[in-house]
Amino acid sequence: MAMRDLVSGGAACAVPGSSSSSNPLGALANALIGSSSKTQERLQEIPTATATASDGNLHSGMGEPFNAALPGSELEYLPPNAQGSEFLRGFHSMDQNRFSDAWDDIQRPQIPHFQGRTGPTNLPLEHARLQQDFDGPPQKVLSNFLHSFLHSGHGSMPFHPASLPVLGLSEGDKQCIRDRSSIMARHLFADKSEEFIHTQVNALLSSLDIDNDIRARGPIPGRFPELEEYWTESQHMKPLSGGADGWASEFSQQLVPHDNPNMWAQSFERQHGANGWASEFEHEHLQLASVDQMRGTGIPNLAAMEQTRMLAHTLAQNNDPKFQNSKFLQFVSKMSRGEITIEDNQFKPAGISAPGDWAAEYEQQHSGGRSWADQFSNEQLSQGPHGWANEFATERGKQGSTEDEWANEFSKLNVNDWSDEFERQVADGVLGDSSGDNWANAYDDYLNEQATLKQKSDASRGVYVFSDLNPYVGRPNPLKEGQELFRKGLLSEAVLALEAEVLKNPDNAEGWRLLGIAHAENDDDQQAIAAMMRAHEVDPTNLEVLLALGVSHTNELEQAAALKYLYSWLRHHPRYSAIAPPDQPENLYYADVARLFNDAAKLSPEDADVHIVLGVLYNLSREYEKAIEAFQTSLKLKPRDYSLWNKLGATQANSVQSADAILAYQQALDLKPNYVRAWANMGISYANQGMYEDSIRYYVRALAMNPKADNAWQYLRISLSCASRNDMFEACDSRNLDILQKEFPLI
Amino acid sequence: MATQLKSDALMEQMKLHMSTDTGKQLTKKIGLVYQINIAPKKIGFNEKSFVVDLKKGEVKEGAYEDGKPDATFSFTDDDFLKVASGKMNPQFAFMRGAIKIKGSISAAQKFTPDIFPKPSKM
Repeated sequence: MAMRDLVSGGAACAVPGSSSSSNPLGALANALIGSSSKTQERLQEIPTATATASDGNLHSGMGEPFNAALPGSELEYLPPNAQGSEFLRGFHSMDQNRFSDAWDDIQRPQIPHFQGRTGPTNLPLEHARLQQDFDGPPQKVLSNFLHSFLHSGHGSMPFHPASLPVLGLSEGDKQCIRDRSSIMARHLFADKSEEFIHTQVNALLSSLDIDNDIRARGPIPGRFPELEEYWTESQHMKPLSGGADGWASEFSQQLVPHDNPNMWAQSFERQHGANGWASEFEHEHLQLASVDQMRGTGIPNLAAMEQTRMLAHTLAQNNDPKFQNSKFLQFVSKMSRGEITIEDNQFKPAGISAPGDWAAEYEQQHSGGRSWADQFSNEQLSQGPHGWANEFATERGKQGSTEDEWANEFSKLNVNDWSDEFERQVADGVLGDSSGDNWANAYDDYLNEQATLKQKSDASRGVYVFSDLNPYVGRPNPLKEGQELFRKGLLSEAVLALEAEVLKNPDNAEGWRLLGIAHAENDDDQQAIAAMMRAHEVDPTNLEVLLALGVSHTNELEQAAALKYLYSWLRHHPRYSAIAPPDQPENLYYADVARLFNDAAKLSPEDADVHIVLGVLYNLSREYEKAIEAFQTSLKLKPRDYSLWNKLGATQANSVQSADAILAYQQALDLKPNYVRAWANMGISYANQGMYEDSIRYYVRALAMNPKADNAWQYLRISLSCASRNDMFEACDSRNLDILQKEFPLI
Repeated sequence: MATQLKSDALMEQMKLHMSTDTGKQLTKKIGLVYQINIAPKKIGFNEKSFVVDLKKGEVKEGAYEDGKPDATFSFTDDDFLKVASGKMNPQFAFMRGAIKIKGSISAAQKFTPDIFPKPSKM
């Protein structure tokens, strides 16, 4: 079959009733290059040659604006251009046979001996062959069926529903096939009408007996998120054939001897959920690379550039800010815009000395393309929500050319001295052999930090963060359960039950309050504050809530807020509200509030609570001795209040009376063995005294009870470092409590 | 008078810490003088200076008078707390511009979270 026929379909491919002429090669190019409508416009803009007369009337009957990569298509859209025609000539003359070989082989994976075939003469035979192969083992049948589906699209033939033998497709398989086929359909038939796509896919699916709800799918610009989703789904699909993912891998299995068309199928197979586009890009690169190999000239880079531009454009259309800002996108855009500008509908090379130069340059870029795309897609995987490029770019933007500042800073550091010093130090090994590792580790830490910070940002803004997978949701009386669990000392469980309660009854002040207390005792002041704020909203006069808020804010060194709540405590107290002036002063001065409290204490010396608040207040002003005194007074009145012992201990610790602090904590723990905060505080007191091994044990104990205590993780790491237990860094960073508990038990 | 900083509390604790055995060991281990400028919101604005003198074993408010500090740092209030508690890695903070450093690099590198005592929670 002449090239012309291949392109124009010829009689053999024509199907009655088809509105558009068949164009297998065109559709192939379309499949390769993508189906965005913009692409098509761009592709149009590639000049196509009139000088392909030798190949006949290639654009006869070409209604579709899609195959500019192929010779002779949209001539009516473009003025011919010498460069373009050269390209096309090259395309035509050189390897049309090989190209079509490749094409055919895609179409006929079960006939490997066609590798060596020279002419694309078998196209019409394909159909018959494919039709015949609808018997046989289910996977072969399915794959043939799917191939013919593909082929039908290329030939613009309506796909005939065929009665297939039972293929034994599971629901998951069916879903997968449905999704994939609808994507592929859009991909392949993008030039056709939506109707056509639907018809084709419906035919496919009905033959396979799969429900079709394609109409629910969104328009093409939304394709990428969809695509990602589908590919993730597809990863879970049970294999139809042995050990691989459905028909895509079938392709590759059967095409293994081939390099070029294989890439396509292989790359689809390699896709991960979030990297659909990255590997698609990769595949297209490879496809181009293979095309390059076939040609050996630089001219097809034109098409490649266009493709890249298409890709860049499609990426840019994606609303995900990750794409918008990514350096990848910029790189791709740059590559695609490289030496070429487009004005109106003209395709103009700008400022290139010779076509060969930029082509060569592009090829260079190209050869790095694959590994780079791989690398990038790997990076995307490992970096969580923000690519470092994005992060770095935004950081730099915020800091206002950090680089300059940094450079300035360093120049101010008297660079000569510094560099000498640095040399000496490196020679002396001061920096340590692992300074490079340190940097890399630091980078990893940074990434982890970013990830966790993102999660924490809600809590730090005072928004309560609920746990996922809460088994207590739906139970009849979660409040009661929560209270019981709290009493038993199972703090994390109590938290879950109480969350269930407040989800059910958001106006339950007691639920929120207890939740706040549980978090505070679990050593999470941020969540404690968030929960207490809700309790406060529901009941602004609750004294316990006000006190708890005062304490948590003091812990977080939020002095103004703490003062406000403690003052509120006074004003809402039935007995002492008289002492406070009637209207809330604008700015609370610490001294005034302290004075008020002292008056209140004189009023009722037997009231432990007043002393407790006084104690907290003195902590704010760092008058530790007075604070200790106040707590000790209240402890005489309430000796079994474990939380009070902890407060005393903390005050002592902060005033560097660590030995006393430990005794106080011990009292608290005797009263409440699961008091995570007290365990963590113990660790701190040991660490502050330089007793790092001990501190590690206490931290581990605290973390075993509440693995979410982030502060404790940080402190643990510091203690590990001080105790020169760098071997345990990894366990700490990966939060592996098993290892840590085994290594650092508390006797 | 400068606004109340959260870092005040930390510095206070550090000051007290210096009188303990552990604190005294720091002077042997490090033996350098650091000046730390802390700004409430943005580096360089409304700064309060502290001198963490790990030669003599003192923490004082105000700039360093007796010569030049071995390294000078500039932080915001929140960032200083994060670095001192180990929440933020100093190398990374530096790269992101969250810390400004002047003076000797080796001195700067010795400025790590383990110098600082940790606050206990009521």
